[in-house]
Amino acid sequence: MLSSDTIRGHLDSIILRLIIEKDRYGYEISKEILARTDNKFKIKEATLYAVFQRLEKKELIKSYHGDVTHGRKRKYYYITTLGRAYYREKIIEWEATKKIINIFMEGLE
Amino acid sequence: MKKIREHVHGLFKEIPDSEIKKSMEEEIIQNLDEKVQDLIEAGKKEEDAINKAIVDFGDIEDIKKELEQSSAAKQKLKLRLIFSLWACGLIVALCIFINLYFTPDIIWFIFPVFVIIWWPFILFYRWYENRL
Repeated sequence: MLSSDTIRGHLDSIILRLIIEKDRYGYEISKEILARTDNKFKIKEATLYAVFQRLEKKELIKSYHGDVTHGRKRKYYYITTLGRAYYREKIIEWEATKKIINIFMEGLE
Repeated sequence: MKKIREHVHGLFKEIPDSEIKKSMEEEIIQNLDEKVQDLIEAGKKEEDAINKAIVDFGDIEDIKKELEQSSAAKQKLKLRLIFSLWACGLIVALCIFINLYFTPDIIWFIFPVFVIIWWPFILFYRWYENRL
């Protein structure tokens, strides 16, 4: 099970991506990450809420309470315009980073 | 699910109370409850399910850092506001004193007061904005 610092640096982007697709709540996001990565990456839930807190403070996402399920209200997150722009920015940044790191990670056996 | 609630409250014990903390606790409890339900449906015993959910959750160092950062920033704003109020008060008092003592016939202290009052006004606005 991978849980490296490299991925930690991109948690914001990972979570933004999932919220851009549709409004989601915390547990759903942690399940979704696990499913999409074939159980290779598991996010610590405590970390997840710290990221929500950070993203909400930066106004990249906002939240609302959904209908009652299992006796309690789920807290859903949705993306803001700023969040979308930030995510697009991150994609460009990632493309550039990938190229640079690959220069040093490929071609030597 | 009392155990989940107790565990989460335990984790958050050291964090100072705030609206954000309360809503985050509720959110976490809701999500963990749901996870426990899922695990039970997948065939785990309730006891095991609760324990697994708690272990998977991890420690809350990251959350602490996030919450402390925001409360530290608020403290700073509040301190600045208090400082500006005191300083403004002193300057205004001085102006009024000089005005009434030396030139009691002309009320001119209003003008410097108008200028200086902007200082606490701005800080009050920033502090208020941050509270929302």
